[in-house]
Amino acid sequence: MIRDFGLLEVLTILQGMWTTLALSVVAFIGGGTFGTLVALARTSPWKWLRVATAAYIDFFQGTPMLMQLFLVYYGLPVFGFHVSAWTAVAIGLTFHASAFLGEIWRGGIQAVPKGQSEAASALGLGYIDRMRDVVLPQAIKLSFAPTVGFLVQLIKGTSLAAIIGFVELSRSAQIVASTTYKPLIAYGLAGAFYFAICFPLSRASAYFERRFSLKT
Amino acid sequence: MTTTTQQHIHAADTGTTGQDPIIRISSLQKYYGAFHALKNINLDVRKGERIVVCGPSGSGKSTIIRCINRIEQFESGSIVVDGISLGESMRNVNAVRAEVGMVFQQFNLFPHLTVLQNCMLAPMRVRGTSKKDAEIIAMKYLERVRIPEQANKYPAQLSGGQQQRVAIARALCMTPKIMLFDEPTSALDPEMVKEVLDTMISLAQEGMTMLCVTHEMGFARQVADRVIFMDTGEIIEMAKPQEFFSQPKNERTRNFLGQILNH
Ligand SMILES: Nc1ncnc2c1ncn2[C@@H]1O[C@H](COP(=O)(O)OP(=O)(O)O)[C@@H](O)[C@H]1O
Ligand SMILES: [Mg+2]
Repeated sequence: MIRDFGLLEVLTILQGMWTTLALSVVAFIGGGTFGTLVALARTSPWKWLRVATAAYIDFFQGTPMLMQLFLVYYGLPVFGFHVSAWTAVAIGLTFHASAFLGEIWRGGIQAVPKGQSEAASALGLGYIDRMRDVVLPQAIKLSFAPTVGFLVQLIKGTSLAAIIGFVELSRSAQIVASTTYKPLIAYGLAGAFYFAICFPLSRASAYFERRFSLKT
Repeated sequence: MTTTTQQHIHAADTGTTGQDPIIRISSLQKYYGAFHALKNINLDVRKGERIVVCGPSGSGKSTIIRCINRIEQFESGSIVVDGISLGESMRNVNAVRAEVGMVFQQFNLFPHLTVLQNCMLAPMRVRGTSKKDAEIIAMKYLERVRIPEQANKYPAQLSGGQQQRVAIARALCMTPKIMLFDEPTSALDPEMVKEVLDTMISLAQEGMTMLCVTHEMGFARQVADRVIFMDTGEIIEMAKPQEFFSQPKNERTRNFLGQILNH
């Protein structure tokens, strides 16, 4: 039976957008937290840690996110971890995002002039204080634009979670398209929703970048 | 290392005080890769002493200064600062750094913090001073370098001379026993050199132990107890300023002085 494109269809797609937002937030919080550690490890004084993190980054940047999600989703049960789809996707997205954010923020950390952390050291500040109060605040400003750029990619990339059963924005549009036979409207609406999330982010990023550059 | 004591180079009058040096550098060797940057440096600095270090570019002046608070690692030898030996643990390194203030050629103020916040950071984080007390301390030293009205500006809004005075105030907020200066006026426009030197002179007059890398020979004449000339990673000559300028013993010192005093 072919359904009309009505309120229920719009609500289905809105529900999908909600899931996309939730996946993005999870990915960004997980990836942001873990990515900070990756960036710190990548710039640490210990060579073995830098090498290990470089391998981690290379692996997750060099393989498709689709495969990473599969590996976590089907791999964890093999090792005896029976986790929910949400947990699996949270872990997969965290791995993926932390590798990319870690690499972006490593660049930011290394772009902060060496004299900054030397001056902090000379004042007696330990590693944690040096990073938290001196280096990271400047590194974050320097890497703000690429961070938002990646975030926008990540939001769009969460559509891959559909393959392990999530009905997020793209998948919901696909479902509506097949029940109504109105793919143009369904995908058009989904596209508009993606745009409604991502465009303000890009604009906000440009705005904050201008403000940062005025201040320093 | 039983023989090192004889190797220590003292000024002619060192024996009279009988005090332990506040900095004792013994047989210091420093390499950058294969490059021998410091060759067997021995130096004692007494409390309250003001030492000026000069020498051609690349002679190792910055490296010595930076080894004292371990911004730079070294291969062998020892540096004892106020009884604390560097080289064992990070704990000692931080203990030394908290007692030794450092002023850089490029100021190295924290650009994302206001002048006041620049000065408050270390007392709060390292000494655990409360925010309120840290602010009182910061304002005290900003007044000391005669710049309190700039407290709420960001470093980029200040002139070079003002920034360097803030950098001095920031170091003083940790009430250091020793101040290290690495060419503090070299990055400044000529008209700003004096305000920074005046600040350093008044610090010297208050009895601060100072080790200054500088080519400001007027400053050296006025405040230095000893002047050190370095070349190719070695201390070539060390003397009181009168002797150093009027009768330098070493050929290389004479050449160097000839170059910098003749323009
Ligand atoms: N990080 C470094 N890596 C390699 N060589 C260095 C480094 N820092 C300084 N050097 C070299 O060590 C020598 C002494 O440097 P420095 O102490 O900065 O000299 P100065 O302060 O007297 O100009 C120079 O030849 C310089 O090129
Ligand atoms: Mg130098």
